[in-house]
Amino acid sequence: MSASAVFVLDLKGKVLICRNYKGDVDMSEIDHFFNLLMQQEEEGLVCPVMSHGNVHFLWIKHSNLYLVATTNKNSNASLVYAFLYKLVEVFTEYFKELEEESIQDNFVVVYELLDELMDFGFPQTTDSKILQEYITQQGNKLEVSKTKVPTTVTNAVSWRSEGLKYKKNEVFIDVIESINVLVNANGSVMSSDIVGSIKLKTMLSGMPELRLGLNDRVLFAITGRDKGKTVTMEDVKFHQCVRLSRFEGDRTISFIPPDGESELMSYRINTHVKPLIWIESVIEKFSHSRVEIMVKAKGQFKKQSVANNVEIRVPVPSDADSPKFKTSTGHAKYVPEKNWVVWSIKSFPGGKEFLMRAHFGLPSVEKDEKEGKPPITVKFEIPYFTVSGIQVRYMKIIEKSGYQALPWVRYITQSGDYQLRTNN
Amino acid sequence: MPYFGSEETVKELKRALANPHVQADRLRYKNYITKVIRYMTQGLDVSALFMDMVKASATVDIVQKKLVYLYMCTYASDKPDLALLAINTLRKDCADPNPMVRGLALRNMCNFRMPGMPEYIEQPIVAGLRDKASYVRRVAVLGCAKLHSLQPNTDIDGSIVNELYALLRDPDPVVVVNCLRALEEILKDEGGVVINKPIAHHLLNRMKDLDSWAQSEVLTFLLRYRPRSDDELFDILSLLDAFLQSAHAHVSVATLRLFLNLAAAHPAVQADALLHTSAPLLATCGSASRELRFAGLCHVQQVMRSQPGLFGTHYKRFFCGYSEPSYIKFRKMEILVELVNDENVALVLEELRSYCTDVSPELAQAAIAAIGRIARTYSEKCLDILTGLLALKQDHITSAVIQTFRDLVWFCPQSTAAVCQTVEACVDNPQDSEGKQALLWLLGEHGEQISSAPYVMEGYIDGLKTELSSAVKMELLSTSVKMFLCRPAETQDMLGRLLHYCIEEESDMCVRDRALLYYRLLQRGVEETRKAVTGPKSDPSMSVLTGRQEEPISLWASTFNTLGPLSGRDLCLQTDIISASEQPSSSAEEELLPGSKDVTLSSPNDTEEEISLSLGPPLSHETFEKMWLDLEILHRQTLGFPRPKTAADTLQAALQLVKIQTLAFTPGDTVPWKAYLYTRGTGTLILAELLQEDPDEPGSEGSLVVSVKQQPGNQHTIRGFVAILKSVLQTLHFDRL
Repeated sequence: MSASAVFVLDLKGKVLICRNYKGDVDMSEIDHFFNLLMQQEEEGLVCPVMSHGNVHFLWIKHSNLYLVATTNKNSNASLVYAFLYKLVEVFTEYFKELEEESIQDNFVVVYELLDELMDFGFPQTTDSKILQEYITQQGNKLEVSKTKVPTTVTNAVSWRSEGLKYKKNEVFIDVIESINVLVNANGSVMSSDIVGSIKLKTMLSGMPELRLGLNDRVLFAITGRDKGKTVTMEDVKFHQCVRLSRFEGDRTISFIPPDGESELMSYRINTHVKPLIWIESVIEKFSHSRVEIMVKAKGQFKKQSVANNVEIRVPVPSDADSPKFKTSTGHAKYVPEKNWVVWSIKSFPGGKEFLMRAHFGLPSVEKDEKEGKPPITVKFEIPYFTVSGIQVRYMKIIEKSGYQALPWVRYITQSGDYQLRTNN
Repeated sequence: MPYFGSEETVKELKRALANPHVQADRLRYKNYITKVIRYMTQGLDVSALFMDMVKASATVDIVQKKLVYLYMCTYASDKPDLALLAINTLRKDCADPNPMVRGLALRNMCNFRMPGMPEYIEQPIVAGLRDKASYVRRVAVLGCAKLHSLQPNTDIDGSIVNELYALLRDPDPVVVVNCLRALEEILKDEGGVVINKPIAHHLLNRMKDLDSWAQSEVLTFLLRYRPRSDDELFDILSLLDAFLQSAHAHVSVATLRLFLNLAAAHPAVQADALLHTSAPLLATCGSASRELRFAGLCHVQQVMRSQPGLFGTHYKRFFCGYSEPSYIKFRKMEILVELVNDENVALVLEELRSYCTDVSPELAQAAIAAIGRIARTYSEKCLDILTGLLALKQDHITSAVIQTFRDLVWFCPQSTAAVCQTVEACVDNPQDSEGKQALLWLLGEHGEQISSAPYVMEGYIDGLKTELSSAVKMELLSTSVKMFLCRPAETQDMLGRLLHYCIEEESDMCVRDRALLYYRLLQRGVEETRKAVTGPKSDPSMSVLTGRQEEPISLWASTFNTLGPLSGRDLCLQTDIISASEQPSSSAEEELLPGSKDVTLSSPNDTEEEISLSLGPPLSHETFEKMWLDLEILHRQTLGFPRPKTAADTLQAALQLVKIQTLAFTPGDTVPWKAYLYTRGTGTLILAELLQEDPDEPGSEGSLVVSVKQQPGNQHTIRGFVAILKSVLQTLHFDRL
């Protein structure tokens, strides 16, 4: 892996904070980074790897920051990106928002974290839960040498500390499925898939052993059971706490959970899903005078279910003005800085159909710049429902002390990358 | 960046830090230290405070300690003498009862990059290696590597190396991986850390305890290990099997790399591993992070070099999202071009068509180039789309389409007529120099098929004074000379004007020399010029047909999952346009050289027998069968090599290129293998059979035998036909070797 140094830059290319881990790349090399980036942007050929001489810059952008790693080796690029994203994740957990201001306000903690996350160019302790045990934002308060190495740093179970205690032992299980859909302008579904994840909020004492049962088709096939609906998951990924060997063997998901919130597993289902909210749109543009938009939305899911907080974003030309709306339900709002109309519907029952009409004026003097054709995007959330039909059949919790613990399960289906291309 | 008043600030801070009242109030003292670090972060030179900061390191507050250490590390190389003063404090901290403090002090002491350090840090490092807290051991192990990098030219300390090897058995997983990392650095000159059988097996068993970073790196280290036997190899692979599906993309890709390298001798295992990882790879291509998505796409591209079919059914995953950055879109388009097949071609083209009108001209041009690549196989559909794009009358689109046409004609001569027709009908000429060059090249090569060619060219010659690009001028010269050769009456006058201008008035020496060259050439006579100037009108290597061959995995397995594939050939489609635009003009250079003719399709000894074949009206199976039975074999020849192992449709396409139609052939690898062909030439119909007997059978050498029948008979045509057929089959055969 070996990153020589890590830099955090602002949007103008000024170094906000940096850490030289290896000392084998001159720290002033970073001055070339921004020039290269500008040059590439001008040519329209931005690339996440840039090279100057034998120094390579691997960079990502997060809000108004660039995070850059430099290396002079042919190192493993995806590992470096993964590390930079890990930095973002850790910083975000510390400061809520990772942006220029939070870096400047918390530079002491940032330095401390950079020091622990990596040493000599190699990732060390990167789990933010563990880091939070010995690097705190309250560090500015004077504490007399109370800091001890937390047990987790040296523990056999690196993701959980020993000796946790809760009055009430509970686990909350969230099954969340996001639907990605791409529909082309003729209304045919180009691609669709479901990305699911099972999230845990664990509030359990001690070192509990958990076992999760799902209606997984492969498991049912092994055990010879064949009742009810089953689901074939592809591309299943687990948190490091899950014993992979057991899953490979008998499809049991058994683990010692991390404390607090964590993502236990994720999966992908690559079936053809019917778009849950179907949009038909007619966008008519009359040059120099007006744009007329008609959008019809239809809930293509069970009548008993309700989609909440539905937001349908319809693109409009950037020079449009004087909006007028008419909706059969919900309300529409023009967001000029994003060049779209948001039609929000608080609750959208299955099987229903709604209509929105919008009218915009266009200036008589057209602007020269050509505009792209952004798609219509839809956001929604359907509780108590999973598209794939996945279900948690049981969650067993076993701890030495033998306490009773309660598992709570919640299902949510939401929109992921949900795009419908427009003809305009 | 020192700014105005910085000296004042430093002085003020110095005063404050030295103030006993401030020192007494811990909180105020610490606030001042924080201030110093803030200024340091902002780029102010606060190195003058070194002494005061060293004093501040004697504290029980661990955050303050960290800040002071950070300060010292930053300025140690500027103030080596003062830094030495701090060493005592640091060494004392290395013996602190709190392991956090010990680790911290040791790590920072090792980070002082200045001469003279080794003698002070060696002892604490060795002590740290045996510390009971793993936190300190982790730091100490990497400290060994830092120690070595401080004195790179000294001998390697054998005892430290041994100790590090022993620590590979440490219970703490991070210590284990740090040991590998440190040994790798220390033993760099000797080829890095040695992975022998016990170490390899130990690491394999520890894999599941490691965090994802460590897993990735250990997998990379394991690349160095060669299992003794196949049994051991398969044991290792089955231990690692689960990691192919790891939650972390970088781990699964690293595992794949190890699989590919270890199982180099077992193609079936490699193929299986690739199949297993195709799902995680595809998932990375849809990852939330653009950079990881990009890396995933690069990996997919590498895999496709050997297994083009692996992602065939998932082509929709490579459709571009609206908000994706262009570097991802470029890669996706490259992949889509490779994934095209009979079933998905319509959808893929429709998708690419929608990218052609993208706001970004680079993207639009790349999409057009991608359609051009597909056109080499599915000419008709693509030509329709490209022609449709011309109607949009957008400069950058027109230019890209014309460039694509030029490449298409070069690679697929059968599309020439259609292209010429379109170019003829196209009223807007490209405005940028690449587009102009492409148009001129087309006019020059196929001027006889474009009736308006001289008028278009005249426009360029008249506008010569305002033309800035010398490349366009050079192309114009070549075009005018070529055109003069085929349509002298219309072009003689303008060629004269052009040569006169270029020789007398042009300031660019290259253009002038080129004009002089053509001038002298023309003085030698028209026939001489024709010989020198005209060359093959299409790609003689038939790279279209053989270009898509599967490469052995070993070609790319060694660079898999490194930085190389991401930065090596950035934005391939883009460079494709550029390199392709150089291609024909560089071949124009070659054309001037005598002897370059041997590369043409008909090999040199057949030149006088060169005949032109044509397909004519199609022949039905029944007619062929009847004629084959009626006619007698006029010629039989053993070709001297076995049948090319290409796919049947490649063979068919290759023969079609030289106007030989394949009527029927035995599928797959069945023996004896037969194929029936027909063509027309010099007014005769030629029927032929290719036959390959079982190579194991006595009497046959596993070589192809061609039998030819003809109506009416003409030995000259048969010889020409056999020569062409032979050269095509030979090309395919040797390309597969």
